Amino acid sequence: MSDQLTHNIQFNEIVKPAPGQFHGGIHPAEFKSVSNTQTISTIDSPRELVIPLKQSAGLTATPIVSVGDKVVAGQLIAKKQGAISANLHTPLAGEITLISPKYAGHPSGMMSPTVTIQVDDDQDLSNQKSQGENLPKLADWTLCEPEELISQIALAGIVGLGGATFPTNVKLKAQSIETLIVNAMECEPYITCDDRLLREQPERVLQGALIAARATAANNIIFAIEDNKAEAIASLSTCIKKFSPAIPVSIVVAPTKYPSGGEKQTIELITGQQVPAGQLPSALGLVIQNVATLHAIYEAIVNRKPLTRRLVTITGNLVTKPGNYWVPFGTPIEYIMQIFSISQSDCKRVIIGGPLMGNSITNFSAPVTKATNCLIFNRPDPKEKLWLTSATKHDPCIRCGECETACPVELLPQQLLWFSQSDQWENLENQGLFDCIECGACAYVCPSEIPLVQYYRYGKSAINKIKQNQINAERAKQRFDFREMRIARTKAERALKHQKAAEARQKAAENKPADPTGKQTAINDALARVKAKKAALNEPAEHSSNPTNNKVD
Amino acid sequence: MKLSSPFFHHAMPTQRVMLLVCAALIPGALIQIYFFGFGVLINLLLCAGFAVSAEYFVLRLRNRPAKETLKDNSALLTGLLLGIALPPTLPFWMTFVGVWFAIIFAKQLYGGLGFNPFNPAMVGYVLLLISFPVEMTAWLPSRALAENLPSFSESIQLIFFAQTNEGHTVESFRQLADGFTMATPLDFVKTEATLGLMTSEIFSQARFDANLSGWMWVNAGFFVGGLYLLVVKIIRWHIPVAFLSGLFLTSSVLNLYDPQLFSPAWFHLLSGATMLGAFFIATDPVSASTTPKGRLIYGALIGFLIVIIRSFGGYPEAVAFSVLLLNLAVPTIDHYTKPVIYGHKEDKEAHHE
Repeated sequence: MSDQLTHNIQFNEIVKPAPGQFHGGIHPAEFKSVSNTQTISTIDSPRELVIPLKQSAGLTATPIVSVGDKVVAGQLIAKKQGAISANLHTPLAGEITLISPKYAGHPSGMMSPTVTIQVDDDQDLSNQKSQGENLPKLADWTLCEPEELISQIALAGIVGLGGATFPTNVKLKAQSIETLIVNAMECEPYITCDDRLLREQPERVLQGALIAARATAANNIIFAIEDNKAEAIASLSTCIKKFSPAIPVSIVVAPTKYPSGGEKQTIELITGQQVPAGQLPSALGLVIQNVATLHAIYEAIVNRKPLTRRLVTITGNLVTKPGNYWVPFGTPIEYIMQIFSISQSDCKRVIIGGPLMGNSITNFSAPVTKATNCLIFNRPDPKEKLWLTSATKHDPCIRCGECETACPVELLPQQLLWFSQSDQWENLENQGLFDCIECGACAYVCPSEIPLVQYYRYGKSAINKIKQNQINAERAKQRFDFREMRIARTKAERALKHQKAAEARQKAAENKPADPTGKQTAINDALARVKAKKAALNEPAEHSSNPTNNKVD
Repeated sequence: MKLSSPFFHHAMPTQRVMLLVCAALIPGALIQIYFFGFGVLINLLLCAGFAVSAEYFVLRLRNRPAKETLKDNSALLTGLLLGIALPPTLPFWMTFVGVWFAIIFAKQLYGGLGFNPFNPAMVGYVLLLISFPVEMTAWLPSRALAENLPSFSESIQLIFFAQTNEGHTVESFRQLADGFTMATPLDFVKTEATLGLMTSEIFSQARFDANLSGWMWVNAGFFVGGLYLLVVKIIRWHIPVAFLSGLFLTSSVLNLYDPQLFSPAWFHLLSGATMLGAFFIATDPVSASTTPKGRLIYGALIGFLIVIIRSFGGYPEAVAFSVLLLNLAVPTIDHYTKPVIYGHKEDKEAHHE
């Protein structure tokens, strides 16, 4: 069954329909119109920022400020550590008041290191100048070498803003890239930040894309977008026509279907090809960048601005004015609730990200980070069965196979569940557990309301634990074997040493002259004389009194 | 317990799925009641009651939440499926034995809904067929042929007391005016064929034709119910299409080979439990193959086996045997028909080289 475009899109030489399609997928209620009609604006400056030091994939950044330091907007506060990590800059001027572990939004409630900044008063966030232009000045980017662009992007602390937060500079270093795909699918319900950005600032995103293409030496750019974003498509295609870029830029429109924005699914839609298992998109000559990331690249290269804020969709039925807002990193969610007059008694939880792959947070002190693309403050309607936020007892799996028709990677979720429930780890892995992208389409369609993805996460962590145990056991075995070997070796060495010493002694004894000083001869002579004397004295008694002597001898 | 993502969920609940399958039985069941009398309805009610009570009984023994679990309606469905397959005047205690065996041994002992490798209704049916072959093949002639079908009260008397107040037994209802006892078309064909009659001779008999028409209507009813299940997407096309194609192809090949020895394909398609089997029995997801390719193989082999057993086997009808035999093959089918996971196409090609 092939998917049809459901929205009316005018195709031309720039706007084309997607040639490929992916297996399965779902059509959840979109809730996009809640937030996508409002123009982008900024929120009022928060009083305090809590900036987590780990906001990217890889290693935590190392703070380079101390408590009491004054910082200016855009100042580097933590440096990346190792290859996969990202710089952090303060969005606002203020004073460092605390560097300590705090709650930073981890779903488990885990604490992580943060820098707390008391923000100076009177900072107008809508004023672009106050954002800080702290990066080195570059020449016209069209003349820059790719290395220069990439190092500027690394300095700016840019990471993949689609949610994966992988450092962009590392991704752009991929070799033999032909095509840059801009992921503007935004397939999760509620989220509209990329849509709004493309509608309002397509020229910035386009320039960001051209910069990224130059950095990777890609020779064409494809914007991948779902057909439910007609306005964004129109505004972007007008922009492309006006700009007439040096390399071909096209917009490829895919039918609205979750999870078309998954990297692998996007690639399948745009190219008709699948990324081979265990390889990166670069194996197909592709690099994928998200719309917001490209905007950040534009800001870093053209405006010298580090990444200190992002566009966040603030939405849900509890929000007074849902829409897309520029939010500085470190802004506590409770502050956002305050400005949007959301009372904590109404709102039991906030969803960070979308309802299908996001996190549910009940501690509102968590800050907005580079990964926060959407905040959903929703009071679930009891009549509406759509939301499922707490685990109830689920019905057994009847193997209806709905999940298998929904799975975008063609797994058999019903089999994964079966093996996961019965702890059959080897079978579970053979069924492709680690190919699961955890999109949640299977759980969405499950008639028995089985939280399938949690079963897979459980399986993944159990298998990883077993593998870690195996590695540990292997290491322990190696250590044990080495110890045994070492003991045996020392023993052998010692034995050899003893043997050699003994041999040496023996040799020495053999080689020694019989009586080098003549003492022994003197003693022997003396003894002989004594013996002779004694013999002379006892001579008369010898025959009569001592017959036993012979017997003893 | 707090859940992690996804937080959206949108699907028809299992209990509703089961209920809609029960509802889809209605057209076929009504036609069957019309052609074979109220015994069909009484059987359905009895089976539903026995199935639910058996499930309740075992769940209590197993210390499971009985009332809550019964709400999944799966026991009800098993009962109805078995009930529709029973001859309309079967003694009630046989019905009881079949249903309780189905629920207890074929379903609950394996762990209940979702864990049974065999279709419970068919296990119950086969138990009865093997244990009580005479009673289980004692179908009444259809209304198109019968002199008089038992009334509602006569049906109750036959089922519970084996004879009516007037002293009529099941046998007397089965006899036509000329004293001929009418078997089901499948049974009739089998018996006549063993007597050396050619299919053309069998099919040209008027009373056979009249009896068959009732069965064809019943099959049409289940076909309509099955189409409804397809439309509301409770079942998918794979199993019914493969089932009917397998049945059609096998019977056509045999019929082409020797038209006088083997019945034509239309006869196989429209008699016995063919449509019930294709849309309601073989599609039981718990015991069927679960991969897309596997479902095609599973369905096609059931269709194939039905014709083979009907044509060469000792029993006139073969849906239950075929389904159970293929239930047995499901793990193997599933193992060899795993779909190729995203990004693993090359592994597979490499594997084949």
